[in-house]
Amino acid sequence: MVKNTRKALHTGKYKSINNPVPVLVKEDKAGFPIKIGLPEGHVVTAIEDHWRIDDEWWRSKPVSRIYYDVHLDSGQQMMLYRDLITGRWYRQLY
Amino acid sequence: MKILCVLLPHFSLCCEILRRPSFAEQPVLVTYTTDSKKLVLDYSPELDGLQQDMPLQHALSRYNNVSLISADIPYYRSTFTKLLDALEGISPLIEGDESRNIFISLEGLQLIFPDYRTIMNAVLDIIPNIFKPQIGLACNKLLAYLAALSCPQGGYRILTDNTAAFLKDLPCDVLPISIKSRQRLRDFGLYTLSQLSALPPGPLLSQFGMEGKKLYNLARGRDDTPLIPRIMTRAINGNAALPSVTTSLEVILAELESLLAKVFINISRLGLGIYRVDIWTRSWSAAHWERTIRFKEPVIDIKSVTKRIKRLLEDYPQQGPVEHVGFRITRLGYPRGRQGNLLPKVRAQDQLMEDIRQLELRLGNPQVYKAQEMEPWSRIPERRYILVNTNR
Repeated sequence: MVKNTRKALHTGKYKSINNPVPVLVKEDKAGFPIKIGLPEGHVVTAIEDHWRIDDEWWRSKPVSRIYYDVHLDSGQQMMLYRDLITGRWYRQLY
Repeated sequence: MKILCVLLPHFSLCCEILRRPSFAEQPVLVTYTTDSKKLVLDYSPELDGLQQDMPLQHALSRYNNVSLISADIPYYRSTFTKLLDALEGISPLIEGDESRNIFISLEGLQLIFPDYRTIMNAVLDIIPNIFKPQIGLACNKLLAYLAALSCPQGGYRILTDNTAAFLKDLPCDVLPISIKSRQRLRDFGLYTLSQLSALPPGPLLSQFGMEGKKLYNLARGRDDTPLIPRIMTRAINGNAALPSVTTSLEVILAELESLLAKVFINISRLGLGIYRVDIWTRSWSAAHWERTIRFKEPVIDIKSVTKRIKRLLEDYPQQGPVEHVGFRITRLGYPRGRQGNLLPKVRAQDQLMEDIRQLELRLGNPQVYKAQEMEPWSRIPERRYILVNTNR
C-alpha cells in the first residue's frame, strides 16, 4: 500500500454526478440479490449480467464492487452493486 | 547598526520531526525531485558525509537503512513564514532568504531590550527548540552570519570586537562569492581569510575584477550588503485533494479552475487582479511540482489564468500521477482600465453569468452548476463527471 502523504482530504470542492444510493437488498446464499427495497419491495425476476470491479487497491480506501443488471417484477430494470469492502448494497447507473 | 543572524540547520528535517516526532529517533533522508532526478534536500545530522542536493543514489550507497521522506515544500515554506511572523514581534525589520537564514535588524531596540543577552533569549524563546537555531550578532550581515555559523546549535555568539582574530582561521569557503571565484582562490593557494586579508587590493582587483574588491572587504569583515526587510504580502492559498490519483491534465486543470473561481469572485468585488500565482501539485509518490506564473498586468478574468496554467501543465510534465493540487497568489493589484465588450452576443453570455451570480447572492450557496467531464474513462461511475460552479 502507498504510504499516507499525511494531507487532509478536501474533496468537497465540487459535486460528483451519479453518486451511489444505498438500498436494502435481500440476498440468497450465493450472495445474488433476490429482493430489493425491504420490507415490501420488488422481487428480482432476472439477473441479466453481473461484473466485478477492483480499483485503487493501492490507496487506503480501495474500491471493490460487484455490479448486477437486474429485472424486477414491476418490469423495471435496475443497476445495483454490492460493496465488497463494507458488504452494503447501492443503486447506481453504470 | 547591529544585525542578528539566525541559522536553522536541517530546517526541512526539523519541520518533518515537528509533524512526526518519531523521525527524531531514526536516520532520515528528505528527498526532492528535479528533472526526474531524485536529490537529497536534508538528512539526519548523524549521517556524516552527506550534503544538500547530492543525488539520492549516492546517499543511499553510503546509508541504505534510512527512512525516505519526500519534501513537502509548501509546508516548509508556511512553517518558515510563521517563524518570521513570530520574530516580527521582536523587530519589524526582518529578512528571510531562500536558504532559510534569517537576518534581524536591532536598530532602535535598545529601549525594549537593554542588553544583547535579553534579545538572544527572546529569539530563542520564539523559535521552537527542535530547530536548534544558531544565532550570531555582529555589526553587519556577513559577520553575524559567520558568528552564527561558529556557535553551537541552540546557542548564540555575540561578536562585538576583535573581528580580525575571529576571521583569521576561517576558510575562504564561508564567503558569499561565486563558485568560480571560490575555485580560483583555491587555485591560488588561498585557503583562509587571514591569507586573503594579507593581500593588497590591487592584485585581487586585477585577478578577480569587481569581485576582487568585494573579496578584499569581505576578508576584513566589511560587508555593506543592506538588510532588505520582507514586505508583508497578502497571500491567498487554496488546495484540494483529487478524488482519485490522475495523470489527466484536464482533471488537474478543472480542479485548479474550480479553486481559482472562488478567489476571482472575491477579488473581483474589490476590483483587484492577479499579478503572480504559484501553482503546485503533489503526486501519489509525494513528489512536489511547482511553477510560478507572472502577469505583466493584473489579470481580472479566470480564462486568462487557466489558459496560462494549461500551457504550463503541458510544457512541464508532472512527475507522476497527481493526487493533490494547490495554488498561492502572492501579488494582487488594481487593473489600469478595461474596455467594455461591444459585441452583444458575448455580452449575452456575460449577462447570463451575471444573472446566475445574482441568484446565488440572493439564495446563498451555488444554485446553478455545469456538468464537466472528469475521468470519462473511469470504471467507477461517480468519478466520470462532476458538477462545477458556473460562476466563474
